[in-house]
Order: sequence, then structure tokens, then C-alpha cells
Amino acid sequence: MATDLRISNISKIYPGCIANDNVSLQFKSGKIYALLGENGAGKSTLVKILSGVVSPDNGEVFLNEKNLKLSSPLDAKKNKIGMVFQHFNLFETLSVFENLSIDATEDNKSLRVRINEILKKYNFSIDLDVPVLNLSAGQKQKVEIIRCLLRSPKVLIMDEPTSVLTEQETEELFISLKKFCDEGILIIYITHKLKEVLSLCDEVAVMRKGKVVSVSQTQNERVETLANKMVGQKLAKIKKKINISKNKDEIFKVKHLNFYSDDPFETNLVNLNFSVKKGECLGIAGISGNGQNELFQILSGEIITPNTSIIFRNKEIAKLNPKQRREYLMAFSPEDRISQAAVPELKIYENVALNNFKSSNFFEKGLVNEKKIKEHSKKILSDFSVNTDNVELKSQFLSGGNLQKLILGRELITAPELLICYNPTWGLDVGAINYIHETLIKINDQEKSTILISTDTEELLKLSDRIAVIYKGKLSKIMPSEEVTPEKLGVLMGGGSVD
Amino acid sequence: MSLDISFIGILIGSIMASSVPLILAASGELITERSGVLNLGVEGMMIIGAISGFALMVITDNLFIAVVGSMLSGVIISIIFGFLTQSLLTNHVATGLALTIFGIGLSAMLGKNFVGIPGKEFPILFSSLRESIPFFGPILFGHSIVLYFAFALPFLTNYFLKKTKLGLVVRAVGDSPVSASNQGINVILVRYCCILYGGAMCGLAGAYLSLIYTPQWIENMTAGRGWIALALVVFATWSPIKVLIGALIFGGITILQLHMQAIGFRIPVQFLSALPYLMTIIVLVVISRDSRKIKLNTPTSLGRIFYKEK
Repeated sequence: MATDLRISNISKIYPGCIANDNVSLQFKSGKIYALLGENGAGKSTLVKILSGVVSPDNGEVFLNEKNLKLSSPLDAKKNKIGMVFQHFNLFETLSVFENLSIDATEDNKSLRVRINEILKKYNFSIDLDVPVLNLSAGQKQKVEIIRCLLRSPKVLIMDEPTSVLTEQETEELFISLKKFCDEGILIIYITHKLKEVLSLCDEVAVMRKGKVVSVSQTQNERVETLANKMVGQKLAKIKKKINISKNKDEIFKVKHLNFYSDDPFETNLVNLNFSVKKGECLGIAGISGNGQNELFQILSGEIITPNTSIIFRNKEIAKLNPKQRREYLMAFSPEDRISQAAVPELKIYENVALNNFKSSNFFEKGLVNEKKIKEHSKKILSDFSVNTDNVELKSQFLSGGNLQKLILGRELITAPELLICYNPTWGLDVGAINYIHETLIKINDQEKSTILISTDTEELLKLSDRIAVIYKGKLSKIMPSEEVTPEKLGVLMGGGSVD
Repeated sequence: MSLDISFIGILIGSIMASSVPLILAASGELITERSGVLNLGVEGMMIIGAISGFALMVITDNLFIAVVGSMLSGVIISIIFGFLTQSLLTNHVATGLALTIFGIGLSAMLGKNFVGIPGKEFPILFSSLRESIPFFGPILFGHSIVLYFAFALPFLTNYFLKKTKLGLVVRAVGDSPVSASNQGINVILVRYCCILYGGAMCGLAGAYLSLIYTPQWIENMTAGRGWIALALVVFATWSPIKVLIGALIFGGITILQLHMQAIGFRIPVQFLSALPYLMTIIVLVVISRDSRKIKLNTPTSLGRIFYKEK
């Protein structure tokens, strides 16, 4: 039976922000629909409304002309609306089977039979009896999908599903989604990646600032037209000029980096060796969870590993803590802006002062020189075009992009010789990403070096001079970035090998 | 020789009796914590259970009503905790501490007229077998029904958490309340139930003290057992069976060091008194040092406030 999902005049207002402004859309089974938009465009809110997690202030949802009352996730389930969230809704410490059985109505035996049928039908290979925390992101996503399939859904909503997948896993996902679509499941695919929309979807609705700005057939669209609709203005393309000069000095050299942990949430690192030249950007690619966290913590001095040698500007710094490393002109921008890079409850100027104990005159005789810090913070806010000039604002009220600009600004005031960043544009919108990328390129142009640990292949290819891939704690050979293609990276990120 | 053996039997029997309140309170708290709620009010709920059990026994002269009433009083006082932490989203630690202080104060007030009143004999089961079998008699027989229940409880708890659907739901809520909520599980309801169950077990643990173990009301008679129960749960890494082991070690060393003091060992009394605490922690740390297992058993969301998006 054909499915027809209609959203009519949905509005949702949060304090200070209109998340959904009179949104109306129509979907029919047999097609894959894309919902495209930047972060904060209102896609996620709409999805949460469809899955019953939040209720709209206004408007209605109709499934086959039946008015749905979606006041809890249970209602969405009952009405056969399945949902795979961007942040997985899995229980990490429970086994795969326990995760799947938690909302099942049948007994364990027949459930296992049904799960195995699904595994076979779609060629998924997952061990049902291991804890979910042992699975890769791609496998976790499959568990989520299986959970939906077990309820024979009419509608399947995928929220930014490829943000954690390799190229290969993405391809596999697309094949599965096309299969589901052929079987009559209506698929709504939420993303901000334009190429995915073009290669997978039949129709695309673009959202901007809570409103639907366009609905069209994807065959009539190109990357540029979609991008302009999404951002609402023309974007300047930036491209880095590659500068690998063999004669330049190595400013940073790591030898025999090994890390062992019995924590099942951590990855062991096996014999990493690499170096960075002056003015160079070394990219480290990989799917999250392959040791990037540990690598970043070791490079920044949060974890000290024995028998490792780290030479920076001709000095051995392997035993130094982050503060001491900063004094040698290293700077760090961690992945988690809220909990690792900044203290959200502190004001902007207080956060600026946090990592500059020695290298500036912020402190005198143990006392805080507020005036100087504030002056300096103001300068960062304007130099890095942060969207506020109020240094008294608590950092938690900054958006992700503005917070990242503030953090980069803070890190760069000491004029570091080496900046190590980990997913600097994670979760940011196109405008902010562009700004951060320009900043990182500028650093290299000034003959300073960067190490870019990132899960975003496009970003790596754009910014890096040389690229290596980390997989299960091991580093691939380091390649000049003009020899690297997205496909090659994808193979290496998935554990394959290339020559 | 036969005297020695029967003495050891009696010793083990008394060790078991002394560990009952710890097992009950810790098993209850374990379920609460597995759902992600950290209730530091164990001591307060126990002492309220102790006074209400004793008072009901004196007033009604009915032990059954006394025992059930003590559990209900534990439930009632834990409702306060549940309402504050789950409905009003207050901090678990602060609320739990307040609950303990409140419980100790309230019990002292309620208990004023019950000081010095003698308790009633609590019926024991299989008392004839206790006398007739030399070694195993005092270990296995002649205990109150509450003791048998207490020793079954860790196994029942283990079965509940590992094998039943509801146990799975409790673990899921403790692992990730947000995911559970998105799966349509009523997180607040599950947590309320776990809090109330924990309250009932703490109430029973208190009643065991004032009705069975030392049948009388003494102000502050729980004497820190609630805190030990809390520590047991953590050091047993949220495993019910290890809670049982920990409680027995604690009870055992408490009794043994009393005997050692009586015999006159040349070890400072202060050290002997500290021994149960020290040994329990050492043993539990040693038997549960598998960090992988700890990660899998620890309720990830423990003590964190959960609120539902609207």
C-alpha cells in the first residue's frame, strides 16, 4: 500500500529562535526525499516533531490522510514512523540483542530469528551478543536501522546518517536505502551534504532559517544551485596552494608513539612516527574512534606515554604537560568545544585568560588584570569576526561557529609555531567553516605549521599538504595530498590498503 | 573439638545476621543506582524504617504490620527524594544528603517516647533443627524470615537485572536516559519505581535492626550502616553478588574484631575497629578490578539530572 505523509503548517518556537516557521511538505512512498539545510535551519526540530520527541506549537501531521497525534516517541512508533538519529540512541553498555529487544513485543527466540532474517536479507554482518560500545559507527547505525525495520515501518527518517561513515559504508548505506525504498518504505533523508542529495535522492526540500525555501526534483539541480539555496548567498570558493618543499626544516617530529589502555572506550595506538615541516599542514584522516582522541591528548600533553620521543623546535618535549608545551609555542584546539576547549559557564574574557597564564601580562602577582584581558578579548572578537562584542557574555551562549572562532583566536594570540586541531569545523555551518578554513590556510602562509586531525575528508583534501590515515590506532604511510583522492582515503579509513 | 566446631557455626550464624541490613539496603540502592539515580539518603531511610517499624510494633503489637509499615515509611520518605530529583530536577547528591539529615532528625523526634521500651521476640524458623545439627544448624536454621529473604535478594536482583525485560529497561535507563526516552520508555516513571523500591528495602533494613537484630529503639541506631551500604554498591561495581560478598566480609570482620578485642589481642582497638572498613574495600577492589567489566556495569548516567524535551 502506498504511503502518503503530509506535514501541514508546522511551527515551533524556542525562546529567541523560530525553529520551524509554518513548514508544509508532502512525501509519497517509492521516492527518497532529501531535507537539506545548514545547521540551525530547523531540520532537526522538524525531525524531532515527526518522531514525537518534541511537540509543535502549531500545525498537523497526516499519514495517509489520518491526523497523527505525535505527543511521544511511542506514538511515532505505533504509527510506523521509524527514525535513525544523528546521535545514536543506543545503550552502549548493553549488547546488540538487548538493545533490539528492549522495545520488542515478542519473545527473545522469535525476535532472534527475525533479526537474523534481516541481517541476511540486507547483508549486514553484526555480532548480536557483543556490547554496542565495541561496534564501529557504521555498525551502530545498522543496529539502529534494524531496530526500525523490526517494526516494519512505513516511513524511515535518517538524520545526517553519513557524518560518521566511511565512503564505503556510505555506499553500502545508499544501497540499503534504495532497497528499502523499492520495498515501499517512504524515506526522508536529512543532510547538509549536497553531493549525497544529488546521488541518492529523488526530490529535495531546502530549509533556511526555519522555512522551506524550495522544493524541487534533484535531476534539475546541481551542487552550486543547491548550495546557493541553502546558504542564501553566493559563496567564494577557497583553495589552498599546496606547498611541499623538501628542503624545509622539520619543526615537529614524533617517534615511537605507543599507547596502551584497558579502558574499552579507548583505542590503543601502535608505533606512530611522523613529522611536520615548517609552514606545512599535516592532515590525519580517519573515522572517529580510531585513536584520534588518544593521539590528540598525547600530542597536547594530557597523556604522557613512556618511551615516546616528541621533538619540537629541536627540544624533547615528550614529558612536558600542556601548559609547558604551550610555553614552547604549541597551541591546541580540541574537538569538544564545550567541555574541552572552553568552560561554558565562564564569561568570554575569562575563557580567553584560561590558557595564557605565562605568555602575557594577564596576571600580576597572582591577581587577575581584568582590564587587559578584556581589551585583548575585544580584539579577538573583532579580529576573528565573532558575532558579539560583549566580553561579559557567558561562553555557552555563543553558537558553535562563534565559539570555535573565539577558541582559535585565543590559541593564536601567542603566535604559536604549531597548531594542533581536532575536527575544528565539526557541526558548523558553511559560512563558519569557510572562515575557519581561511584562518587555517593563513597560518600556513605565515610559515607556521598545523596538524589537522579530522573526520571530514573534504576538509582534509582542501587544507592538508600531506595526509595520513589512522585506522585502529595505526597510521598509514604519509602521502602528498595531490596523490590522494576521496576514494583512496575511504579505502584506508575503512581498513583497506592502497598502493 | 566438637565444641569448637559448633562455636564456629554460631559465629558464622551471627556474622550472617549482622550483614543482613547491609545486604538489604545495598541491594535496594543498587537498583536505584542502576537506573541512574544516586540516592545518598540510604542512612536516613534506614533510620526512618527502624523507628516506624519499632513504633508500629509497640502500638499495634503486630510484627507483620510493623515490618510492612517500615517498608512503607521507607517508600514515603523516598517519594520526597523522587519528587525533588525527578520532578523538580534538583541535584541528586544534595537532595540525598538532606534526606539523610532529615531522616536522622525526624527519627529522633518520633522515637522520643519509645526509648527504653523492650522489643518483642521475632519468630525464628526451624529452631529445633538449629539445636540438633552441630555445625550447619546455627548457620542454616533458626533465623528470621527477613534473613532468608535478604540472602535470596542479591540472586533475585541479579536475575532481575540480567534476565528480565524490566531489568533490561532499568539498565537501559541508567545507561542513557535520552535514548531510552526516545525509544518511548517513560524514564521518569522507571526512575521513580527504582527510587521507591530502594526506599522500601532501606526501610526493611532499618526494621531488621530495631525489631530483630537488637529489638529496641536507640537514637541513631543505624550507626552509619547506610553509608557502608552505599560504599558497598560502588566498590562492588554494581554487581549484586559482589554486594553480598562485601556485606559478609564487613559483617564477618566486625564480629571477629569484637572477639579479638574481647580475647585481648595486642593490637590497638582503634585499628581493630577500622579493620572491617579497610578489609571490605580492599577485597572488593581486588575482586572487581577488571576495568572492562566496571565500564559495562557502571550506570553511565549515574547522578545526572534528566529532563524531557518538550
